[in-house]
Amino acid sequence: MSRFLGPLDSEGRVPSHQQTRIAAFLISAHGALARQYAMSLPMRIEAAWQTELNAQFYRESEIISLLQRATSWVPDMALPYMAASWETAWFPKPVEGLVGQPLALPIDLATRAHAIHAGIRPAALLPVDANVNDPFVSALRRIEFESGRLLQAQILFLKGDSLVPFRDAVSTELERRHAEIRKLWADTLESVGITVRQDR
Amino acid sequence: MPRLVHGSYRIRYELDGPADAPAYVLVNGLTQYSELWSAYREALLGRGFRVATFDLLGQGESDKPALFINQDDQVTALHLLIGELGDGPIFLSGISFGGLIALRYAIEHGERISGLVPMSCFAELTPQLLLLGNALRTGLILGGTSYLQDLLLPMNLSDQWLKPLLDKLDSVKRQGWLVNDLYALQNLMESFLDFEPLTPRLAAIAVPTMILNGEFDFLTPRALHETLRVEIADSSLVIIPKAYHAFTLEKSALTADLLARFADDVLAGRWQGNKAVWIAPEEPGGELAPFPAGYDHLRAIPIRAAPP
Repeated sequence: MSRFLGPLDSEGRVPSHQQTRIAAFLISAHGALARQYAMSLPMRIEAAWQTELNAQFYRESEIISLLQRATSWVPDMALPYMAASWETAWFPKPVEGLVGQPLALPIDLATRAHAIHAGIRPAALLPVDANVNDPFVSALRRIEFESGRLLQAQILFLKGDSLVPFRDAVSTELERRHAEIRKLWADTLESVGITVRQDR
Repeated sequence: MPRLVHGSYRIRYELDGPADAPAYVLVNGLTQYSELWSAYREALLGRGFRVATFDLLGQGESDKPALFINQDDQVTALHLLIGELGDGPIFLSGISFGGLIALRYAIEHGERISGLVPMSCFAELTPQLLLLGNALRTGLILGGTSYLQDLLLPMNLSDQWLKPLLDKLDSVKRQGWLVNDLYALQNLMESFLDFEPLTPRLAAIAVPTMILNGEFDFLTPRALHETLRVEIADSSLVIIPKAYHAFTLEKSALTADLLARFADDVLAGRWQGNKAVWIAPEEPGGELAPFPAGYDHLRAIPIRAAPP
């Protein structure tokens, strides 16, 4: 087990089987967010949030498109089973303490997006000698950078005044989502020989 | 790696040295992690101390609360760590954000420590510091952790330290970038949004206190350390020559020597704070010199101090 992707080939590229599984996971996660943003777009909400939702939708779509093009794909027999477990994890879920609240759905979506944008750091898997000009390496760096920007909308919403009455429930749900997505990500990485689990 | 438990969070710490030795507890700055104290660990262990370091909540290998990090929780984490150290003498030191947490600890649990060393520290957010903090937070949001590091490196370290590293800054930044997550750093920064100045509470610090301030500290300049000197009864202010905000990284041998000498003086009953102002030597082991009498230590040019 290693903390980083590799071993790299002579041109500093990540092995194709690692590229395939990591890209599949990221496409699944960001694809789920894109789908859920797309379904939320017709909602009548405050103009500023409508604008942000639109931006988030297109940036998530860009991440998916980028990975489709930048990844060196290889057949992976385990992917259908793994993808099914990932997709199940992205289903909307009731937020404990907020059932029936009009904000429950946006909170569910924002906590999931926060956990994906904050908790998944694909660029941190790159070893120092990864080729910065390789499309996959470049894509991972861009996705991590963009995730940091996209995350700001979730932070603004989840820390915002409108959620002050539900702060404990929101924090608990967010921690739960982080733990859930951290585990999915760690399991995926372990399946390609990378360990990110902390000594606990 | 041992962990402390605070509610649902775990705090990673490291403790070395004989259990019956006086202990030094070192508290990280905002973008730091406990491995950055390794030179201090070695130096202080060699001088007969026990050394405890830890990652604050939101840093390194400690848990990173997802939405909010309260500074009270950091003080509680520090209290838990100090609770692991037994009943012997404990000296507490922290840099920048860590210095602030150390100050808060000394205000609330001063009876538990024998001495305090705030370094590159502050008790309040002056307009300059507030605006700098806001700009650094915006930098983090727009440019990520790497951009925040880009801003902090030239602000907090000298040309002499930076020059030989100019072509390998990425490797200098890498470990900090790897172990610190953007959202957690942002939460640490946003723990200042409801910050109340500590200045009115500083008088509660009764333990011997050595305040360390880099000569050229741009981020937390002399005036911020002066507040500590004036308000803490048994304090001295020691100016580190040719040093910037992050002198603990740049001048570790000198700083570790000053920490050890301070604790030795306190334990031997030699320490006298007297709210004096000193100039540290440039090398470890050198003599401290009193700031020249009659001159204003808050100025950058030699101006006679105004009569009291």
